[in-house]
Amino acid sequence: MIDTRTRVLSLAEKTSEQFSSLFDRIFAAAHSESVYSKPVISGNYTVITASEVTSGGGFGSGGGIGPELPLSIIKKRPDEAASHAEQVNSGGGGGIGGGGGSAGRPVAVIIIGPEGVTVKPVLDVTKIALAGIATGIVMLTTLRKMRKMSKG
Amino acid sequence: MIRLKDHFRVQTGVGPPVTVGDITVTPQFEAVIVRLASSGFIWNRPTAILVEQNGHITRLPIRDITRILLLWLLSFSLLLSIMSFIKFSRRKVIRP
Repeated sequence: MIDTRTRVLSLAEKTSEQFSSLFDRIFAAAHSESVYSKPVISGNYTVITASEVTSGGGFGSGGGIGPELPLSIIKKRPDEAASHAEQVNSGGGGGIGGGGGSAGRPVAVIIIGPEGVTVKPVLDVTKIALAGIATGIVMLTTLRKMRKMSKG
Repeated sequence: MIRLKDHFRVQTGVGPPVTVGDITVTPQFEAVIVRLASSGFIWNRPTAILVEQNGHITRLPIRDITRILLLWLLSFSLLLSIMSFIKFSRRKVIRP
């Protein structure tokens, strides 16, 4: 029983340590290299891409140990349970789960050329179009409702 | 006692400067870090670049046009929803 408990506890500790190191790696994204690309030189121009980076994750773990003999029997017949204590096998179980993700999106392009330095914004047309369509649908639905209300 | 400082942090920093001819560009960034016991989140974004040329330093901000437009659209639809909600609720009161 003690063996199982120790095993479950050590497993939980080990898992926690592993996830902690994973988190440290996720939080390592908080530096400039993940946001600004390495300069790309093309002729007289040097181009640097600036991106927005989002990453996150979470984990959870749980475990349990107990005797194989049901608790109700142990409670009803404690003497019997105690006498069979050595024979009673202990059981244990545990589980872990986690997930994470990372996403990046270019925000602007920095161009260094003979004319000087320029920052050109990058427009995500797909995102804007989808948001525009959603707003349009909301607007049309609201207008239709308003029209119905004014008629009725 | 749980302190907000331990879980929520805004970190600003600068990247390595890039020198091209007599122009030196230093990138700046801002990272929002949320760290909880078993989960975490980080949002890292570019904020500006510092341009140094002939002894003059100019700060060029990096604007996220996509996010600005998305926020405008979101606020517009929210405003529209609130307005229609107010109008409908007023009508309901008037009817009886």
